[in-house]
Amino acid sequence: MRFRLNGEVRFIASALLGATILTTPALAEDIVIKMWTLDNNGYKEFISEAAESFKATHPNVSIEHQIFPGDPYKTALKVALVGSDGPDVFFNWAGDRATQLVKDKLALDITDYGDVPGGFAKVLPQGLLDSFRYDGRLYGVATDAVTKYVFYDKAYFAEHKLEIPKTLGELGGLCKAIRQIDPDTIPMPLGNKTRWKAIHWMTMLNERAMGVAATAADYDLSRPADQLYTDPGYAKAFQALVDLQDAGCFEDAPNATEYAIADSMFITRASPMEYCGSWCTSALDQAGFTDYGFFRLPVMEGGKGNPDANFLVPEGYQVSAKTAHPQEAVEWLSFLVSDEQALKFAEKVQFLPSNTRLIDKAEGVPQSFKDIASEVATVKEGVNVLDALLEATVADAYMNATVEVLNRTLTPEAAVGKVREAALAVQAKK
Amino acid sequence: MPFPPTSKPAGRRPAMKAGAVSATAMMAPALILVGVFILIPAIVAVIGSFFDFSMTSANWTYVGGANYRRAATDPLFWLAISNNIFIVVGSVISQVGGGAILAAILDRGIRRGGVFYRTIIFMPVVISSIAVAFVWMLILDPNVGPLNAVVKALGLPTPKLGWLGDPSISLWMLLLIAAWQNVGFQMMLILAGLQAIPKEHYEAASLDGARGLKAFWYITLPGIRNVLVLATLITVIGGFKVFDLVFVTTGGGPANATQVLGTYTYTQAFSFGNMGYANAMAVVLLVTAALLGWLQVRLSRRG
Repeated sequence: MRFRLNGEVRFIASALLGATILTTPALAEDIVIKMWTLDNNGYKEFISEAAESFKATHPNVSIEHQIFPGDPYKTALKVALVGSDGPDVFFNWAGDRATQLVKDKLALDITDYGDVPGGFAKVLPQGLLDSFRYDGRLYGVATDAVTKYVFYDKAYFAEHKLEIPKTLGELGGLCKAIRQIDPDTIPMPLGNKTRWKAIHWMTMLNERAMGVAATAADYDLSRPADQLYTDPGYAKAFQALVDLQDAGCFEDAPNATEYAIADSMFITRASPMEYCGSWCTSALDQAGFTDYGFFRLPVMEGGKGNPDANFLVPEGYQVSAKTAHPQEAVEWLSFLVSDEQALKFAEKVQFLPSNTRLIDKAEGVPQSFKDIASEVATVKEGVNVLDALLEATVADAYMNATVEVLNRTLTPEAAVGKVREAALAVQAKK
Repeated sequence: MPFPPTSKPAGRRPAMKAGAVSATAMMAPALILVGVFILIPAIVAVIGSFFDFSMTSANWTYVGGANYRRAATDPLFWLAISNNIFIVVGSVISQVGGGAILAAILDRGIRRGGVFYRTIIFMPVVISSIAVAFVWMLILDPNVGPLNAVVKALGLPTPKLGWLGDPSISLWMLLLIAAWQNVGFQMMLILAGLQAIPKEHYEAASLDGARGLKAFWYITLPGIRNVLVLATLITVIGGFKVFDLVFVTTGGGPANATQVLGTYTYTQAFSFGNMGYANAMAVVLLVTAALLGWLQVRLSRRG
């Protein structure tokens, strides 16, 4: 039997079909959030799994994750953001880099998107929210923070009856003791060829000499020109670095040594100490080296720093001002800092998450990671790193001055003079 | 008797037109590529050099010749230029001079294994500069590099600040790496020139009593003059444009000691966001390279 539709039925069927076709995309529009991150251990896996989980509440949202090595990323990001095919969400360091994108109107104000139930602003502590705050508005989500410690080989210390130093002077003494044990052992390799390793030292040495509050007005160039970078503490901090070098702490040619080689000296236990970031635990763990301890960079004798202050650099994500999906982008970032995802982040990446509510439940991470997380909780004052905090040309001058101090082509006082010169030039332009 | 009126052969004009059209069509892809990737960026760079802007800023501020005046008073710009000149002069001596010596040895001094030596010496030319830079960074590393081990084994002192960390020798190290990579190319150019000189010239000169240095002076040198000019100009232009080797091995350091125009332009543009100033320096580099290119064409034609 042949079945034939009459005209009215055909009209109704066509209308229903048409309505279905027209309404379907509106109900489930496919959204792709392009995300750029750095190339860190475990990151790819973490984002991939998180993106799958995110689909439970956002079935139409896919995450396109692209990873980059550190230095090329800084340039690639700027190029992409001014172009038409940039990322929707992207990694950035809190500080000058993030602020510059806000000033150039390339980073989106996400205050209202995040200040909703379940939004990142309801989850993160005030201090970390402030790291991406500009003129009272939020322009980023801190997902993690990196810190630095002097890592040491517990077995080596026990074998030679070495003790953890309480002051920078004692740290120098420790280096001398290690050199006495074996003159060819480099106590704590520096690896400053790419310049950021020593600027991390200077970040903390400045704090140990002067404290955070005393340097803030120099760092943001708000101090009057005649007083800018005139605190004798800056030269004292450089001198502390020289003293440690004189004590034999570092390798002979720190400015010609790659940081990776310095890292490998500690990982292979050729050196008993290294001033390294919290990210180093992952590499140590992978190399099977677990018998290590850590301590904060000791205080400076006669310094005005706060012993409870430590290197703490928030990093996280900003949203492109050009994104077509700001709400979904921020919801994705809020999801990443939720309790459950922050825990997974800690487990997979072994970075300190910005949300530490469940950190004690982390599994599969070395005990040292948990110890560092506990230690960070006792930090009363975070110290942001100079190469991210300072204006780019001042940061460059600081890095070059540090190189020259280590090479002994500049005295500490002359090095401060170079930094002051660069700071004055930038201040005059503002 | 009147001459018959002359006329162009029938069909020549359409044939010429067709030829011009096909020539244009064949050149079009190359012209479009040159236009899009060289000409237009060069014009934009020249225009940008009169503005103050960063890579991420929406507005460009017209500053006239301020960026050029800034370059004139910027000690780092002049340091970069002087480093470029050092590299140019050093490269001409080491690469063209070294290439000429190697070519002469391979042409006349070696009876066996010429192809083998030529291949070995030429091999670094085909390796990417980035790979070369990484290999040399390992060789020169003060902690694990083999060069330090060899120097120490010979009982000689090693530089305390490292081969690439000592401002007084780091530029020399860059010259060494550049020479290692490029001397093979110059050698091949000059060798081709040497082998193009007819042997009869030497035989005739020999009969006239011109041997050794005299033969070199009166036969070899004029015979390879054009090749030498070409090799020198290629090296000079390369020395002014050098970027990748410096960027990877020293990043312009230690403390700007090896900064060259290419790396300093990059730093100003991408690290400091001074795109206008970077454009002005790029224009200086462009004009220098263009002048040298023009000189190359002129000297080649004269030859």
